[in-house]
Amino acid sequence: MPEGSASLNQLAVGDRVVYPNQGVCRVTAIDTKVVAGQSLVFVTMRREEDGAVVMVPEAKVVAIGVRKVANAEDVKSVFAFLRSDGDKADLDWKQRARTNLERMTQGGILGLAEVVKDLQILSELRPLPTKERELYDNARHLLVSEVAAALGTAEVNAEDAIDIVLFPPGRERPKRTAAEFARGEEDDLGLDGDLLGLDGDLDLPSEEEAPAEPAEEENSEEEGEESEEKSSDEDAPKKRGRPPKAKPEEAEGAEPAAPKKRGRPPKPKPEAPPPGAEPAAPKKRGRPPKAKPPEAEGAEPAAPKKRGRPPKAKPAEGGED
Amino acid sequence: MIRIVTLDPFEEKPLAKLKSTLYTAFGVGSEHSGSAEIPPGLGEPLDAEKLLDQVKGIRAYQDDKVLLLTSRKLKERELPSGVAPTPGFSRQGKDRAVITLQPHKDLEASFKPVARQALHQLGHLWELHHCLDPRCSMYPPWTPSFNSGEPIFCTFCREKSEQKIRLAKS
Repeated sequence: MPEGSASLNQLAVGDRVVYPNQGVCRVTAIDTKVVAGQSLVFVTMRREEDGAVVMVPEAKVVAIGVRKVANAEDVKSVFAFLRSDGDKADLDWKQRARTNLERMTQGGILGLAEVVKDLQILSELRPLPTKERELYDNARHLLVSEVAAALGTAEVNAEDAIDIVLFPPGRERPKRTAAEFARGEEDDLGLDGDLLGLDGDLDLPSEEEAPAEPAEEENSEEEGEESEEKSSDEDAPKKRGRPPKAKPEEAEGAEPAAPKKRGRPPKPKPEAPPPGAEPAAPKKRGRPPKAKPPEAEGAEPAAPKKRGRPPKAKPAEGGED
Repeated sequence: MIRIVTLDPFEEKPLAKLKSTLYTAFGVGSEHSGSAEIPPGLGEPLDAEKLLDQVKGIRAYQDDKVLLLTSRKLKERELPSGVAPTPGFSRQGKDRAVITLQPHKDLEASFKPVARQALHQLGHLWELHHCLDPRCSMYPPWTPSFNSGEPIFCTFCREKSEQKIRLAKS
């Protein structure tokens, strides 16, 4: 059951609840409706932000994660969590996306705070990709709305209360390094110092992408989230994948000749794409004959000379006449 | 339309520059719509929330955003997690914001931080939240680097503000 989820027994008309990923709503009705011949109890909620209405069947209330608005004690624990130090963001983007999605839907107000804090910590390492920046904004908006509802204050005051903790006055945010995040992960894996030495700043992108290779099809959308940063990096693993194809060729030993034959056609292919390349080959064959004439240039120029000669011959003939 | 209303006397030249900056940032017309009186009974430092509620004599259309500009100090707010420095104040999605020159003295000499503060509070009026980018005007205004930045938005905040403005127009 999601954290803080509310059962229908606990809900009453006028209650303020939080619909996951939608925000603070107020229960406006709990009534029975006949849908497709079935009599179902619906909880009708109106989102406070813009008045949008949603009706949820009784059986789905818990599964969806609808819960009551947090109280002041919950907000205090959120502030304590945001004020605490030591958490490091997950560098595996796929794992991070999965975790954040779960936190957003079923994590309660603390889950929202975790998303905000984790993404903020990650932003201290590097700028967030667009999708995560949007996720950060959504999580922050939901968190601010719920804190404002819990404390009965304006949203601007709720946001400032959160940010005074996240961005203490008079202090700049620390700049984190990739090594700082990497060490945390390696410690968790219990790797030795030798391997620690291998993980530098340059290894971090591959750490994120390595798990993405086996299941690229599964989360094509997630890949798009970080396409800006990873598109160039993802090409690298593909290049790494090509050499293995060459390895089996070497292992076959006798077959290398065949691959070589395969390799040769591509060479003519680049010649082929320009259609004029094929005629170029015959031209090469034709050139020698052209070259021959240059060798026999003395004869060819002789031809025009022959044309010139007749006039010379004419006078000779004329001389005879 | 962004309407700048002064609560204290200011020179016209820096105000014109501020109008230009706001127009560049939001793509919305901006003008100096005169001045207004601070409500009687509000002593310095001014309570920003009461000021926004009680100030009168401002003429604006429904989708206009009003920016009040004062040289007097605004009272810091007591929040559950601490005291919030208040160089400006606005309510999310509403139509009025107030900023102060304090701790600066002159609008022309301290134009950048004041303009940045104006962008920040007007951004809240268009429902922007605080930003992670220190170069963005929506970065929390009490951070040391805030006053040294340019009055601009990051790409994300700029696009979001444009989207909100489009929605408000439609």
